[in-house]
Amino acid sequence: MFFQQLINGLTLGSVYAIIALGYTMVYGILELINFAHGEIYMLGAYLGIILLAFFTASGLTEQSLLLSLILTSVLSALFCAMYGFTMEKVAYRPLRNAPRLSPLISAIGVSIFLQNYVMLTQGATDKVFPLQLGETVITFQDVRMTVTQVSIIAVSALMMLTLRLFISRTRIGKAMRATSQDKIMAALVGIDVDTIISVTFVIGAVLAAVAGVMVAVYYGLVNYTIGYIAGIKAFTAAVLGGIGSIRGAMLGGIVLGLMESMGAAYVSTEYKDAFAFVILIVILLIKPSGIFGTDLPDKV
Amino acid sequence: MLTLRSLQTSYGPIKALRGIDIEVSSGEIVCLLGSNGAGKTTTLMTVSGILRPDKGDIIFEGESLTAMPPSEIVRKGICHVPEGRRIFPKLTVHDNLEMGAYSAPSSDLNRNFEKVFAIFPILKERARQMGGTLSGGEQQMLAIGRSLMSNPRMLLLDEPSLGLAPIMVSRIFKIIQDINREGITVLLVEQNARAALQLSHRGYVLETGTIQLSGTGEELLGNEDVKKAYLGV
Repeated sequence: MFFQQLINGLTLGSVYAIIALGYTMVYGILELINFAHGEIYMLGAYLGIILLAFFTASGLTEQSLLLSLILTSVLSALFCAMYGFTMEKVAYRPLRNAPRLSPLISAIGVSIFLQNYVMLTQGATDKVFPLQLGETVITFQDVRMTVTQVSIIAVSALMMLTLRLFISRTRIGKAMRATSQDKIMAALVGIDVDTIISVTFVIGAVLAAVAGVMVAVYYGLVNYTIGYIAGIKAFTAAVLGGIGSIRGAMLGGIVLGLMESMGAAYVSTEYKDAFAFVILIVILLIKPSGIFGTDLPDKV
Repeated sequence: MLTLRSLQTSYGPIKALRGIDIEVSSGEIVCLLGSNGAGKTTTLMTVSGILRPDKGDIIFEGESLTAMPPSEIVRKGICHVPEGRRIFPKLTVHDNLEMGAYSAPSSDLNRNFEKVFAIFPILKERARQMGGTLSGGEQQMLAIGRSLMSNPRMLLLDEPSLGLAPIMVSRIFKIIQDINREGITVLLVEQNARAALQLSHRGYVLETGTIQLSGTGEELLGNEDVKKAYLGV
């Protein structure tokens, strides 16, 4: 039972973690909670279903399931990258120097717009994933895990590792960190801050899109509201880890996923979704800066 | 090399610069003196593109910088070392320097690292340390070192001696002089008026957003008003 919930929790947690990265990176640079980030994940899931249906109809899935899934993820990520890029340009950039509340309201506006846009074009009912995967079960003693679960954990780990290397080793990654630490100084050394902000949104959208595709495969159905709840959970994960901190988002996501699945198993399944909010309230009361967050000193 | 022509800059309704004219020739060290709020920092911020002027022109080697974004201005060869040093606290010393070279061609990177480590050997020792863990003097060296990574032809230095121990102040001034001898033009803002004037070829005195006085370093050092207001004699 415990190890079973560990696997379930890790699967869920790695999805929360990669969505949470999008929140935390944008917050790190703009100090903006991008409430529309969950909708990018929802778009990623829908695009996953549409693309996979297309590849299945064209016969590719039958030839190679793996290739079909990879192509679906890559194309979904590409589309979502464009959504993320456009969202920042249209809804946030014009408000860069506005009071802090304005971009927040704009973010909620984008979120409502995207939900209704998907509802109108795709319908208000659940869409079923065109494939049933996960029939292959790996059994280790009495712990069962599906190939889908293992893949989700592996793909998430790979993406987090890639992101960490990108942020810590590459020139653009270092420029992202420099920009999040001091935007004016970043501009003075010649970093084009607008480009860095666009890159941040694009990376966040790519991660969210892949998370969307993976969850669509895992649960087998999507609807236009999934971005809302996933968004709030990932946001909780980011706050739990310390908003603005990359490793915090990763750890926060995993911890939240584990707590949810353990809570569902040992306390009550009915309250599964409530755990995230209980955790959010408790952190905000006890340590608002999160696990890895530093208490921000007032700038002198 | 750099000409500011009736430059006006404001923060919202508050006029910080009320039309100033400044001329810096190639190879010079020029200092801006003035009390708090006179507009010294605003002048540098406007030249480097962080602030936009309301009126007037900034001409660098015949080209107008007035509408250029900061990232372009660095590429033209003007590098601004702002007040308070503004080291990236959570990047290593090495990465701070690498970010300084952001605008320079990557083929110059290794040579620039060697150049900066030759001037500031301590930065080589501290290369793996986080920028925020350095002492004030080391941070100032890092800030100047970082600016040199961009192949600048002109440095804008804002209060490089602020908050440093006296021995460190004279070291920093010595380094500014050495950098200038290597052919880099310097526009310097300093509270430490005596040291700044001794170092500078020429100086300007700013008061409430206008130029009150200008002259060579010796002229200003000998001027009665300057003596009374800034040298405390």
